[in-house]
Amino acid sequence: MKSFYTILRYEIFALFISPSTYVAAFYFLSLLAIGFRFFIETFSNTDWLLPPLSSLVVGLLFGSPALIPFITMRCFAEERRLGTLETLFSAPVSSWTLVLGKWFGCFVFFLIISTLALCYPLLLIIMFPEQGSNLGFNEIENWIGSTLYLLIFGATFIAIGVFSSSITKNQMVAGMLTFTLLTAYLSIMVFSFGNQTSNTYYTISQKLSDGLFGTYINGLDKFGQFSVGLIDLSTILNQLVLTIFFLILSTIQIERLNN
Amino acid sequence: MSAENKPLPIIEVVNLKKSFGRIQALKGVSFSIGKGEIVGFLGPNGAGKSTTLRILSGLIPADAGEAKVCGVDLAQEEGLVRNHIGYLPENNPLPEDLRVIEYLRFRALLKGLEGSRLKERIKVVLDICDLERKISERKIGNLSKGYRQRVGIADSLLAEPRLVILDEPTIGLDPHQSAVTRKMMERLRGEVSFLLSSHILSEVEACCDRMIILSHGQIVAEGSLYELQKRFVNKTIFQIDASGNKIDIQKRIRSIDRTCELIQDDPVEVSGKRRYNFSTEQGEQIAERIIRTLLEEKNIRISGFQIRRPDLETIFLRATKKNWEKHDFLNRNKI
Ligand SMILES: Nc1ncnc2c1ncn2[C@@H]1O[C@H](COP(=O)(O)OP(=O)(O)OP(=O)(O)O)[C@@H](O)[C@H]1O
Ligand SMILES: [Mg+2]
Repeated sequence: MKSFYTILRYEIFALFISPSTYVAAFYFLSLLAIGFRFFIETFSNTDWLLPPLSSLVVGLLFGSPALIPFITMRCFAEERRLGTLETLFSAPVSSWTLVLGKWFGCFVFFLIISTLALCYPLLLIIMFPEQGSNLGFNEIENWIGSTLYLLIFGATFIAIGVFSSSITKNQMVAGMLTFTLLTAYLSIMVFSFGNQTSNTYYTISQKLSDGLFGTYINGLDKFGQFSVGLIDLSTILNQLVLTIFFLILSTIQIERLNN
Repeated sequence: MSAENKPLPIIEVVNLKKSFGRIQALKGVSFSIGKGEIVGFLGPNGAGKSTTLRILSGLIPADAGEAKVCGVDLAQEEGLVRNHIGYLPENNPLPEDLRVIEYLRFRALLKGLEGSRLKERIKVVLDICDLERKISERKIGNLSKGYRQRVGIADSLLAEPRLVILDEPTIGLDPHQSAVTRKMMERLRGEVSFLLSSHILSEVEACCDRMIILSHGQIVAEGSLYELQKRFVNKTIFQIDASGNKIDIQKRIRSIDRTCELIQDDPVEVSGKRRYNFSTEQGEQIAERIIRTLLEEKNIRISGFQIRRPDLETIFLRATKKNWEKHDFLNRNKI
């Protein structure tokens, strides 16, 4: 457990001293701010049904292929290039701890950027309370639902990035692979948007099995519920399983490297 | 050091084997290292030195055989051994964008040091490895090779290990820098056991109590320099600088002394002059006859002749050559 914290701290530190993450975060947040501003101004003319806050989450998620590679590409690819994995394992550290620590470090960085992004509506409601509440930025359940949705998908995406980074020595390749995988995942979700077959479950076990395996591609459908504060457990479970799956894959990959 | 008064072994390896796919990197290696000893691990490239050291430091599992390091059986708890040893990997990989002091703090935390002990240990290892304050504030990526190596060694000493395994600690260092490494080991002699691999024989000769020579995954010689010399001392070594046909020279010498054996030949000049090292069991008396015969040969020109005591290099070449011949099928009938 202690080595987990050490690795976590080291990973966050490494992210903070690397200029590429700053540049990426800066551009990402700026673009998001411009998009958000534009969206808020034209909101009354769009046929967007969900609360306006959701636009930010959608922006963050669909923009993530441009952000997450910059956060995760370094984590294992750089260690592999320099050969420092061997030094790491000469200390009493397990590969699972290492993967988990690195994943969580990247996740914390993602959280920081998300928090900064979520400051836009927060600032809006503080500075212009009236317009803010008109847009529904003061409804706490929207905040909880949207944030949770963002967190669980962010966790999965970061895990995908960590995995991509573990299979190559080249940061660029790791970044491209992350980009491709995330884009593919998002596209599948978009294409399957709206054709959810049935929403009625008869038994708990059916619901559970569906939660574990069934609805990965329908994540976007669930967004409507999350954005108004209706939390769907099966989606959370889905993403959790997917996250753990990719983390286990990374661990296996790292262990394989050692022999 | 004889077997009786050897202190409790800190490493005990019996019949260790390891294969990578079809390559048999270790074919049954057995040795033991006592507490406080400094042992040099020698061998040509690809002999399996790094593989052995990586197995001993718990990084990779062995296929077969027993290995006990600091009383920990590697087969059962390979992870546990990492608490007791310091390990410097081959090529000394280090993260480039951390400062020395940050890196050492990170490593110390990973190794379970805390609070005042952590601070004290970092101070101690910085001192042992001659890393001044100014250097410790610099980024590792900007350091020279010598300082990088010191950082690697400082890291391996952090947790006060009883055994330190260094894989080629002096590779690529100037004589000054490798002297620093030697001094460091001298300073810790007795408290810490060292196992280091190297190609630089004079290094090993200077600082190791004992050496183990490995070739093609097997131990071919083992002992202190004195012991090794004794084993080879009944052989006399001639060094002949000559130009002429190699086969002719060998034939001439063999005709005088059948026990004479070519250990090594190197070109000395572009002109085709070569330096031959022969070993013979006949002693020094035969030398005069050999040189006289060679001088009479028309197509052989001698420019130097010397009788030497076998140094580590000769021992090394001798010990690894037999083994080499066995595997080098192309050269086999040439010699
Ligand atoms: N991970 C690996 N995969 C496949 N083969 C390997 C691996 N590691 C080592 N080998 C092989 O095992 C043999 C021994 O390698 P090892 O690195 O132990 O040699 P070495 O004595 O350290 O050589 P050097 O002096 O060049 O460092 C070599 O033939 C090498 O090709
Ligand atoms: Mg090696």
